Amino acid sequence: MKISIEWLKEYVDVRESPEKLKEDLSMIGLLVEAISESNGSPVLEVEVTSNRPDCLNYVGIARELSALYKRPLKNPLIQEKLTASPDRIPYRIEIRDADLCPRYVGLVMDGIRVEPSPQWMQKRLEAAGMRPLNNIVDISNYVLLEMGHPLHTFDFDVLRQGKIVVARAKQGEKMRTLDGTDRDLDGEMLLINDGEGPVAIAGVMGGLNSEISQSTKRVLIESAYFQPASVRRTSRKLGLSTEASYRFERGADWDNTVPALARTCYLIEKLAGGRIAGGLQDVYPKKIAPVRIALHQDHVTSLLGMPLTGDFIESTLRGLGFQLEKRGPNAWDVTCPTCRADMELEADLIEELACFYGYQNIPAILPPSQTAGTHSSAYLLENTIRNILIGQGYSEALNLSFASEADHREFPPLEGDRVAIKNPLTEDTQYMRTTLAPGLVRSAKRNVNFDQRLIRLFEIGKVYGPKADGVPGERHALGILGAGGFAGQNWTNPSPDYGFFHLRGLIEALMHGLRIRSFNIKPTTAVSWLNPRDAATLEIGDDCIGLLGSLSPALEDKYKLKQPVCLAEINFERLAKYAFSPVTYESLPKYPSVERDMSIVVSRDTVYHAIHDGIAGLKIPELTGIELIDVYEGEKIPSGNVSLTLRLTFQDREKTLTVDRVQDFVDTVLAFLNKSYGAGLRSL
Amino acid sequence: MNDAIEKLQRLFEADLATVTDMETWKSVRDKYLARESGMITGELKRLRDLPKEERPAFGQAMNQVRAMVEERLQERFATVKKSELSARQRPIDVTRPGFPFALGSAHPIKKLQAEIEDIFVSMGFQILSLPEIETDYYNFEALNMPRNHPARDAQDTFYFDDTMLLRTHCTSVDVHAMEAMKPPIRAVSIGKVYRRDPFDATHSPMFHQVDVVVIEEGLHMGHMKGMLEVFLQRLFSPDTRTRLRPGFFPFVEPGAEVDISCIFCSGAGCPKCKQSGWIEILGAGMIHPKVLRMSGIDDSRFSGFAWGMGIDRVPILKYGVDDIRLFFENDLRFLKQF
Repeated sequence: MKISIEWLKEYVDVRESPEKLKEDLSMIGLLVEAISESNGSPVLEVEVTSNRPDCLNYVGIARELSALYKRPLKNPLIQEKLTASPDRIPYRIEIRDADLCPRYVGLVMDGIRVEPSPQWMQKRLEAAGMRPLNNIVDISNYVLLEMGHPLHTFDFDVLRQGKIVVARAKQGEKMRTLDGTDRDLDGEMLLINDGEGPVAIAGVMGGLNSEISQSTKRVLIESAYFQPASVRRTSRKLGLSTEASYRFERGADWDNTVPALARTCYLIEKLAGGRIAGGLQDVYPKKIAPVRIALHQDHVTSLLGMPLTGDFIESTLRGLGFQLEKRGPNAWDVTCPTCRADMELEADLIEELACFYGYQNIPAILPPSQTAGTHSSAYLLENTIRNILIGQGYSEALNLSFASEADHREFPPLEGDRVAIKNPLTEDTQYMRTTLAPGLVRSAKRNVNFDQRLIRLFEIGKVYGPKADGVPGERHALGILGAGGFAGQNWTNPSPDYGFFHLRGLIEALMHGLRIRSFNIKPTTAVSWLNPRDAATLEIGDDCIGLLGSLSPALEDKYKLKQPVCLAEINFERLAKYAFSPVTYESLPKYPSVERDMSIVVSRDTVYHAIHDGIAGLKIPELTGIELIDVYEGEKIPSGNVSLTLRLTFQDREKTLTVDRVQDFVDTVLAFLNKSYGAGLRSL
Repeated sequence: MNDAIEKLQRLFEADLATVTDMETWKSVRDKYLARESGMITGELKRLRDLPKEERPAFGQAMNQVRAMVEERLQERFATVKKSELSARQRPIDVTRPGFPFALGSAHPIKKLQAEIEDIFVSMGFQILSLPEIETDYYNFEALNMPRNHPARDAQDTFYFDDTMLLRTHCTSVDVHAMEAMKPPIRAVSIGKVYRRDPFDATHSPMFHQVDVVVIEEGLHMGHMKGMLEVFLQRLFSPDTRTRLRPGFFPFVEPGAEVDISCIFCSGAGCPKCKQSGWIEILGAGMIHPKVLRMSGIDDSRFSGFAWGMGIDRVPILKYGVDDIRLFFENDLRFLKQF
């Protein structure tokens, strides 16, 4: 709401500088966003919150300042006598829906000269951002800005039966509004009819048919009160927000109907030559009682944490137009001004008092502590993962939670379906993501485009899908992506490319850091977006908790990534079930351990996992470590075979191992490997 | 005999001259003095084969040779050791870059989220993990924003159907906490929120918020101010001042807009704070009695306060990030700066 200080001075004596007014208004809840200028006068741009329609006008702002500065409020001049002598023009007002229109006040004037309004009025309207049209329309807009009540003027001669009928539209009814648009109406919308058809959409916009024109001689002035929710619904449904609907939907003042009309009447007489021809008709079938609230001084103290004096309470509220009646020594019955749509409960009054006392004057104090703080359930896991991955060189990514049709085609969800947004912003964001992979791949692509050679990203965030009952649900996921040189090319390092075993190594480190001791990584063919060469699942027992592998060649090409990309996605909630197994301490051995390396030759089809688990399955208590330290394929061994160099570590906790015992263990292992996999020692 | 000894001595001197390092020194030592195979030890073994009368003289001569060899070796050892030590101390170019151990970085918003969690835990709060997909009831209705409430305009919402939506704020924590916990309640919800704003430099359809709710007996506005001050001082700096102005949120009464003293000029006035000395940072208020009642809290006995803050704005303010999209593009050149 733009408030010109020059205009404001008509209603309250303002001596303060614009900056001071900005500060003072902001501290009573009327945020002044900026100070601008119009026609040489400073203009305050006041942001009025949706609960304060009473401040969407000059008198409203002036009322606040008059209370703040304790200066009298000067009301605009009005026509006091609203009867016609003689009553020349009969007209009738009929309200058929008193819920949606509790009060309708009308008046007919004749002798109207439609012409441009005077310069001073045009300038004021322009300063408020309104376009001057003619004196009649300008006057109703002027009164709207001045007193906050939306008025409408009809060309009385266009009203076919000389009457106003306020009723709901018929389903499927149509009308053309002032802006020249044809509107489809429904049975919930309130219309102003002339007995034959619609002439206005109540509280929103007039009809083109009853518009004030150059030839208008007689006008019917409408000053009504429409139910806020109904105006809001109609305005939203039609996609039509006007100065009038904006105020009605926030709550107009039903008792301001007659004064606003009297002001309009005064101005039309002065500026357009009109005279009252049909006296005031006030149809008010549903009396609305002003809000009455009991106010206790004790409650003020307990809500603010400090007492306010009875004098302060009384003078502040009275200054704002509240009526107070004493009820006992420390309590009042408060009748709220009808313009205050925000008044409902005692807390509303206390807020008003706090505003005028000054929030800054309420002493700050910490409340006594009665609770112990606890982190969210995911905090420990999330932070541990974050710290491990950051330490390993991965940076944390954050992608929007949305997905496109193409994302779903390229990265279909492994389980379940997707959920769609009913009113998406764009086609690219019409679904909720079911996997973190596309976001990470796109992030990788962006980094490739900007010549980043070492791409390490992870994201911890939610993925979405319908729950068992079909309702949209969500769960946490961890996504990891690696691409580019493994450690960065530099003078000591020729930089091998990032590959599956780097990612696998990272996952192994992560599992170790999360104290998940036993897990398996197994080949899979179930994931279309991973390369079948190394697509794998991460499993704990029978529970599949994640996927890893390199991006499928087709997607690699599509995203033009220039280098292989490896990615993993882990189900966070399933991971959480296994993470942080209890620490099991073992005292350190007192005797030295012995290592034996052996190079065995097995068929290429033999997976390392089987060999490792087979050796471990021999349950040699002294065998404490099995490591794969070299893999060789080539001319020195028969084709179709692979040579694996294993390093076995033996340790006896009770005594030093002898060479003979170690040899016995090695022989046992070799015999097993030979029997199970036909493995022989590689001859060097 | 003397010939043989002399020959041995010459041979030893020649060998000793070839010693350059510890390894060649050891091989020379072993060549002459090894217990089994050394030349001198070998010569001494021949003692048995000599006629008895020749033995003392030969023995004496050989022992002299051995003593000489040992002495010469000892001298040589000192010089070899010295040169070896000096070789091990030969300087390298320490100004070349170190091995590039890669270190990642936390996302600035997630990092801040963790910091905020820590602050609240230290103040006795329970951090709740709440869903991003909410019902209309928790997001709006129970917060005193029935359908057709004008305040809903400011929060254009993504819907899945008539009741399910993407939360537009974390304020649903107020309702969830009141339903799930018994006073005294101190709860926080932190995370992603969504509004139907186009994705541009200053808007994002997804951003982050933290919402706080406290419900205890005898809570008042002074308590809210006190807790806000501590929170904002920990989040920004110990000398941060706070200012409350009246504000409107349907779920609180009285409501407040909270400003902090400008983090750039400490309140003196600068372009960042539009010369006001203050920066608007969050919305707060005493929980509306209707909201308390709707969630089954006895409002004659308990009162509460709540506040909510956008998180993304903090790094925007602190570091001058001029495009909110940078937070969601994951450009490593951006991420590595935090």
